[in-house]
Parts: sequence; structure tokens; C-alpha cells
Amino acid sequence: MDFKFTEEQELIRKNVREFCLKNVEPIAAEIDENSRHPAELFQKLSDGGWMGIPIPQEYGGAGADFLTSIIVVEELSRSCASTGFTISTHAGIVCTMILLFGTEEQKKNYLTPMAEGRHLGAFALTEPGAGTDVMAVTTAAVLDGSDYVINGTKTFTSNGPTAGTYLVFAWTDKSAGRKGMSTFIVPREAPGFRVGEHFKKMGLRSSQTSELIFKDCRVSKNNLLGKEGAGLPMAMAGFDGGRIGIAAQCVGILQAALDESIRYSKERIQFGSPIARNQAIAWMIADMATDLSAARFLAYHAAWLKDQKLPFSKEAAMAKLYASEAAMRHTVKAVQIHGGYGYCKGAKVERLMRDAKITEIYEGTSEAMRMVISGTVLR
Amino acid sequence: MPTVIACFKWVIDEAYIRRGPSGDLDFSSVDYKIGEYDRNAIEEAVRLKEASGAKAIAVTVGMPEAAKGVKDALSRGIDEAYFIADSSFGNLDSSQTALILTEVIRSRIEHYDVILCGEGSSDLYAQQVGPRLAEQLGIPCISFVQKLSLAKDQLVAERRVDEGIEVITAPLPALVTVLPDINVPRIPGVKDTLMAGKKPTAKIIKDDLPPLSEPLVRTISLTSSRMERSCERFGTDAAEIARFVGSLRKKGVIG
Ligand SMILES: Cc1cc2nc3c(=O)[nH]c(=O)nc-3n(C[C@H](O)[C@H](O)[C@H](O)COP(=O)(O)OP(=O)(O)OC[C@H]3O[C@@H](n4cnc5c(N)ncnc54)[C@H](O)[C@@H]3O)c2cc1C
Repeated sequence: MDFKFTEEQELIRKNVREFCLKNVEPIAAEIDENSRHPAELFQKLSDGGWMGIPIPQEYGGAGADFLTSIIVVEELSRSCASTGFTISTHAGIVCTMILLFGTEEQKKNYLTPMAEGRHLGAFALTEPGAGTDVMAVTTAAVLDGSDYVINGTKTFTSNGPTAGTYLVFAWTDKSAGRKGMSTFIVPREAPGFRVGEHFKKMGLRSSQTSELIFKDCRVSKNNLLGKEGAGLPMAMAGFDGGRIGIAAQCVGILQAALDESIRYSKERIQFGSPIARNQAIAWMIADMATDLSAARFLAYHAAWLKDQKLPFSKEAAMAKLYASEAAMRHTVKAVQIHGGYGYCKGAKVERLMRDAKITEIYEGTSEAMRMVISGTVLR
Repeated sequence: MPTVIACFKWVIDEAYIRRGPSGDLDFSSVDYKIGEYDRNAIEEAVRLKEASGAKAIAVTVGMPEAAKGVKDALSRGIDEAYFIADSSFGNLDSSQTALILTEVIRSRIEHYDVILCGEGSSDLYAQQVGPRLAEQLGIPCISFVQKLSLAKDQLVAERRVDEGIEVITAPLPALVTVLPDINVPRIPGVKDTLMAGKKPTAKIIKDDLPPLSEPLVRTISLTSSRMERSCERFGTDAAEIARFVGSLRKKGVIG
């Protein structure tokens, strides 16, 4: 058993940390407050080659393993959970799915520009009536000559307003059930496609979330990803990697909560001594540090399994479930440690607590994770 | 094609040093980094390379663990490295380091135009290695440099000195020690780090070198600094200033 990172992974972590302290930390509160997509930051991320970390160099990426990309998501999220999540969705799900299932032509036309960081990718499965129940999707695609014509509405699409390439799930044969959904690569300029309402959110505010509207939207049949009817298994494969990304996002949030709690509890004096001297506070910090380690190891282990090409669906679900619930639990405690100051804007823990909540919901709720895990272990 | 050499030291990252209960220094969970000013030296070597098509070489003397530092340097745009490693090289003094560097540069690097060093290392900051190395190689040494360019057969350097800024030229080859103002070191991208290990590194071991000289400095003990406040307050009128001066005198801070 070897718990050591490679020298490269250690150096990359240091570099991304330095990048974040210089470029992310100073704007994180502002982009949260204004729900702003920081285009200037994404330009820097793309200049530094941080947008396509797990994608091979021949397709414009950095050619690192998945674990390295997880380290980067973790460190970005430690400064700004929205930024970490945006990169995770873009590279960990959208780019990775085209890499896994795309044709050479699709990799050249769609994957390469995304991995090079020229624009963002988005993953559009959820619909107003179809959340956890993905079979309730109503969007459909019909072959018309050499084009597919897509009709329907997607909702809650992350990077919806900012992306250049969308992976869209639609029925091609509803009667075939789980074998009837397909995945389409939809470029932003596709006729009949437009971005709908933008959502105002509790947290994760600088990540842009919107509706997507397809009205007789035409894409070439060359934009079908994988085979007709293979949409759902591909979505599940995308989620498997994505969930490790969410776990890493949670590890970053937890690390930040711990950093802030340690610093504040040593500085804040009540009754003549730092509040960290009280066992009530010290034990909250002990539990936080312990859950952080547990979440981190679950996330790294799932990523390692993926890199070894071993099955990792269950482990990814476990990592996401544990890390997201730990992030929620302990960001509430971190606010508690900060007292009234933690409840006010300007305290980082206030943002961490709002950002943590979404991790229990998207890419499968905690309940859905328990369904996946129990479904596997009870089999 | 000019050749630029950057010397660097892989040092303890001071952010990880903790203060033990009795004022001792706790190194049990430290991490390492390229010394701060040495990062500027590396960056400057790479900038000269980018401006003039030079070859950039990095040289370091250290413990075998400094292999990670060699990769770090290579990820910053250096073309090739010389890594002089031994498990006993953790506590070399500046005179020994300078002699080892002299030996390696003289015997292994046929031609060079500029050697760049940080003004001082992040750990000891003795400011000795650069000047000693220049002296032993018999080349000019220009210290406190905040701006540097190469012209034909000479370099032009801006030195920051007490009186102001001094602009000087020196014939090549020459050694330059740099201040942090000279540049802002880049942050390597993922690809740069992944490619670093594929660049050529010549590893040199202790047996390849002449016997080590005796150290000129002996470390007797290390202790953390302490700040004690005496919590005296002074006003700003003449009487209070006199009282302030008197208090400093009494403590022996001023004569
Ligand atoms: C900020 C944000 C970003 C998002 N980004 C994307 C994106 O990029 N792409 C995308 O496709 N989607 C995205 N989503 C959608 C997200 O994945 C869904 O919100 C999530 O899957 C839950 O679906 P729902 O909101 O419809 O809740 P529902 O499915 O309606 O669930 C409501 C509640 O019921 C529970 N529940 C449902 N079914 C069961 C069951 N069988 N057993 C027990 N409990 C159950 C759920 O766990 C939950 O607690 C995003 C959502 C948000 C808020």
C-alpha cells in the first residue's frame, strides 16, 4: 500500500495553491456576492493549462491522471467552490465523456478546444419534471435526413449561460426504456437552441446555472455521441467521474473550514483566553479534521481506482455521499465557532456553508447516493 | 547561443516550521521549496533564454530529496539540470557549497555566459555563495541586481544600492546575484510539471567530487525568535519623547 503522491502531484498542488492565493482568493467573495462568472480568471486558468488536466496532450489537455485533476479541483475549491465545480464539470464530466465515447472527429472538433480552455462545456440531463428520476426526461430527438432535430427544455444546467459545447440527453426511442436515450453534442450556435432563465442561488453563486431551450434544434447526425440508445449508461459513466470531482470540491470546502476555524479559534479571546482552549471548541475542530481526512481518502481512493481502470462507481458514490455530508455538517460548525461574525458577510465560513449545501443535491442527491451504494452492496 | 546558469537551493519552507514548547524549532512536518530569491534567479535565466535564445541550465547541491526541487526548476522553463546530491549535503556551509559548485561548473559546463544566484538563500541568507563562486571562477560578480539584460559580449545590470540605482556593464562571463524585484516568477502549468522529469538531468555524487573542504561555520544551536512586549505607552510631546529616549537608553537599546 502506498499513500505517497508522485513528486509531480506534490508540485502541482503547490502550484495550484499559489495560483489560487494570487488569483482566486482575492476575488472569491466578490464573485459570490455579484453571482459573477469571472471570465478573467478562466482566461488565466486556460493560459496555465488548468482546463483539461486529465485529457491527453494530443487532444489539447495536460495529459495528467485523474487523481491529479482531483487535487486541482480540491485546491481551487478551497479558495472558491464555484470555480472548482466549474472546472470539475467541464473537464471531469464533459471533456471526459467525449474522450471516452467520442469519434476522432468529435475529439478534434469539440474536445480539443475545450481541453485547451477556449470555452467551457456543460452537461444537460435534468429537466423540470426529471431530477432524480432521469427516466422522466421528455426531451426527444428525431432523425431528419442527416440531422437530428431536438425538442425540449433542460433545467439547472451548470455553465449553461457560459458554455460553448453542451452534452444533451434526449430520447431517440422512448419505447426502448433504458436503452432509448441518446447523447448529443450541441454547439452553442446550433439553430433552434437558446439559453433560458438564469437561476439565483443560495450558494455556488459564481457558477452560472440556467435553463436550456431546444426548439426544433438541429445538429448533424455526426454530433451523436456514442451509439443511439447508449445515453443513459454514458450519463452514469459521466456521473461516476463527476462524483469524485464533487467529493474533491467538498474536501476543498472542508479544508477551508478547518483552516478558518483553527485561525479564528486561536485568535478570538473570550473570558481571557483563546476560545480554542475550551474543549467544546477544540473537539469540534478535532471532528472536523478527522472527517476531512476520511473524506479525502475516500475521494483519492476512488480517483486512484479510476486511474487503475478498476470499477469505482460505488466508491465514487461513497466518496460523494460522505464528503458532501461532512462538508455540510462541519461548515455549520465552522460558523458556530465564528459566532456572530461567522453569520455576517465578509467571513469566509458564511460562504462555505452556503456553498456546501449544493454538494448534497447535485450529481445525485445523498438519497440517490444511498440508493446506488445499497443497490451495490445488497446485490 | 549564450548559456545561462541559475544556481538554487532546495530549502525548508519556513511556513511549516513550528515553535516547540520550550522555544525550540519543530521541523517534524516541514515541506520544502526552491529558495525565494533563487526562484527569481531561475525566472531570470528563463527570461534571458526567451529573450535571446539562450540555453538555461540549473545547478543545485543538496540532499537526495532535492530531486523534487530539480523537477520544480525544470518545470519553470530550465532546459537541463546538474544535481549534486548526497545525504550529508543537508548542512553544508556557504564556503563548501561554493567550492562544490565551482568544481562542477568548471569541470562539466564547457561554456557559460552568465551565472545567476539569488541574493541570499531563504534559510541562512548568508549572501556568500554567489560572491565566493565568482571569485573562485575568476569572473566578475555583480550583486543586488534588480534589472538585467544581455548585450554583445557584456551584460547590463541595474544594482540597487543605498545611494540609489547604479547601472553597470560587465564583460562575460559574469555572475549576478538578484533581488526579488527583478521579476515575478511564473507559476508552472500542469503540463510544464509533467514534462519536467523528461528533461536531461546530470546527477553527480560525492565520490565524483574532490574531498570536501572543512566548513568555516559551525552551528552550535538553533532557537526560535521571540517577541516580548513591555506594554509601555508614550505620547508625542517633547517630555514624552524624552521619556521614550530615556527608556530605550535604560534598556541598552541605544547608547
Ligand atoms: C446548482 C445546481 C447545479 C446543477 N447542475 C446540473 C447540471 O449541470 N446538469 C444537470 O443535468 N443537472 C444539474 N443539476 C440538477 C441536479 O442534479 C438535480 O437537482 C438533482 O439531481 C435532484 O433533482 P431534483 O432537483 O429534481 O430533485 P428531486 O429528484 O425532485 O428530489 C427531491 C427530493 O426527493 C428525494 N428523492 C427523489 N427520489 C427519491 C427516491 N426514489 N427515494 C428517496 N428519495 C428520493 C431527493 O433525494 C430529494 O431530497 C443542478 C442542480 C443545481 C441546484
